[in-house]
Amino acid sequence: MDWPSFFQSIANGVLIAGLYAAVTLGLTLVLGVMGIVNFAHGELVMLGAYNTFWFYTLLGLDPLVSLSLSGLLLFFIGIGIYRFTIRPILKDPPLNQLLLTLGLSIFFQNLAMILWKTDSRSVITSYSGMSLHLGMVHIGLTRLITFLLAVTLTILLVLFLYKARPGRAMRAVSENNTASWLIGINVQRTYLLAFGVASAIAGASGALVSTVMYTFPMVGFKLSLKAFCILVLGGLGNIPGALFGSLILGLTESFVGTYVPEGSGWAEGISFILLIIILLIKPTGLAGTRRE
Amino acid sequence: MSRSLSWKKGLGLVALALILISYPKLVDSYFLHLSVATLLAMIMACSWDILARTGQVSVGQAGLFGIGAYTAALLYQKVHLHPILGMLAGALLALMVAIGLGYLTLRLRGIYFSITTIAFAEALSVIWLMTPSITGGAMGVSTPPLFGGNREHAYYLILTLFGLVLLALWLIESSRLNFAFTAIRENEEVANVMGINPTRYKVLAFAISAFFAGFAGGFYSHYNTYIIPYEVFGLGISIACLVMPIFGGLYTILGPIIGTILIKAIEEYLRVTISYGHQIAYGLILVMVVLFMPEGLIGLYKRRILPLWGRGTES
Repeated sequence: MDWPSFFQSIANGVLIAGLYAAVTLGLTLVLGVMGIVNFAHGELVMLGAYNTFWFYTLLGLDPLVSLSLSGLLLFFIGIGIYRFTIRPILKDPPLNQLLLTLGLSIFFQNLAMILWKTDSRSVITSYSGMSLHLGMVHIGLTRLITFLLAVTLTILLVLFLYKARPGRAMRAVSENNTASWLIGINVQRTYLLAFGVASAIAGASGALVSTVMYTFPMVGFKLSLKAFCILVLGGLGNIPGALFGSLILGLTESFVGTYVPEGSGWAEGISFILLIIILLIKPTGLAGTRRE
Repeated sequence: MSRSLSWKKGLGLVALALILISYPKLVDSYFLHLSVATLLAMIMACSWDILARTGQVSVGQAGLFGIGAYTAALLYQKVHLHPILGMLAGALLALMVAIGLGYLTLRLRGIYFSITTIAFAEALSVIWLMTPSITGGAMGVSTPPLFGGNREHAYYLILTLFGLVLLALWLIESSRLNFAFTAIRENEEVANVMGINPTRYKVLAFAISAFFAGFAGGFYSHYNTYIIPYEVFGLGISIACLVMPIFGGLYTILGPIIGTILIKAIEEYLRVTISYGHQIAYGLILVMVVLFMPEGLIGLYKRRILPLWGRGTES
């Protein structure tokens, strides 16, 4: 067996899984807290990626610095989206929520095409070409930093959800919003904050996306579909499931990329195939769902 | 809705049919092309609506459209099958795929069904791109112009198909299928208890819907003379299929038609004004409809406009 390429595949898979996890976390948070599958989540990531790209191109700001700016910007965009579009339809049937967020997704995709054309853009920093050699494995510095930041984001979110008061309120609301309201939690404000935080995470992951992938108007939609696959793999609305799903998808894509002829092209389709297969076997996702 | 039409309505329909038939003589070539595109979009909108009547909201109608398009184009390229037979073959293949997919996705409800249909269309796109020896890959497939480039003939062909889709919708509305579809959409468990077999009707709706989507795809490939996977399996087509009937008014015959005409007009205007992203209108309309006019234009007309004339809200 060709061990170097085997270990290289594992390393690549794990590194990209970090990014997938960061993208999926925001989706998981919104789904877990308010029970909405936000189709426009990927577009928020896309906006974060463009934001980082422009900060880098126009002002020379390092992506790792503008990450927090992207997060902050998207936090406010998210709050606006929630206030004017999501809040009025919180009690609507799920299909209306799907159509609304799908509409937002299409809107932002096309807005990006109008503003920035369909060119693929990438952020190339001074350290983009550098890589580390760990035994048989080469790890690109950008990918490693991206991975570490994605892990940091995850840890911060978990700490927020388990230690901070607003975060704990979000968990309470996700368990039972009527009981939360009875014990004095402001459910509306918790929803607003959850959507804002999820959007901020999307913005920050967008900054990461811009450094390791091409940024183009449809990148968010592609990531959304991968995130759906991850959600279905790991069970809806729970964080460990999202991390597990990201790892599975990242590794599968990476192994297909290495071992199947013309694998990198086929790897793009893995998430769709996995998604369909899992839903066919178990219509509510592998790990079931926590909310009805 | 009753089976017999009043003579007034009948006369109106005959007049409309006469106008539609003599239409190519009255307009210029550009407008004729626009009309063909609009009729094609109407067929797709109606085909989506037929499926949606059973509560199955597809975001992957492009998958079936693409199957039809590629079947027709490849059959012409490989064995020189007559274009119309090719379209029919595409429609039948899409129908068979839909029956298979329909059985597989039976247990999926709501959002899971929608997500699976997106994945279906996107997966087809990847498969097509990765098997260029059979499908032409990213380079696509081209065919000579339909009927030697005679747009009038193309118009009559698509008009005929449009007539057929209207006939199918009318038959559905005036038969027991309407009740079965509605019952399944409102509550599948209850429908089942009442003796409606959801499996059979859901797959039936999928099959009818796919037949028209596949035929439309086949027509598109020959009319457009050139298809690529990104386009015919693309999200753009799937979105158009669902926004047009939702804008017009769901589960009606008139809704998808009105919605399509208005959206096509907006889209054509935007296409001329901005070079990219004219589908932004679709996104905006979808958001607006969900927020402000849940029953589309038809619902708006019934609830807001009719009362102004003192007719109440009866339909």
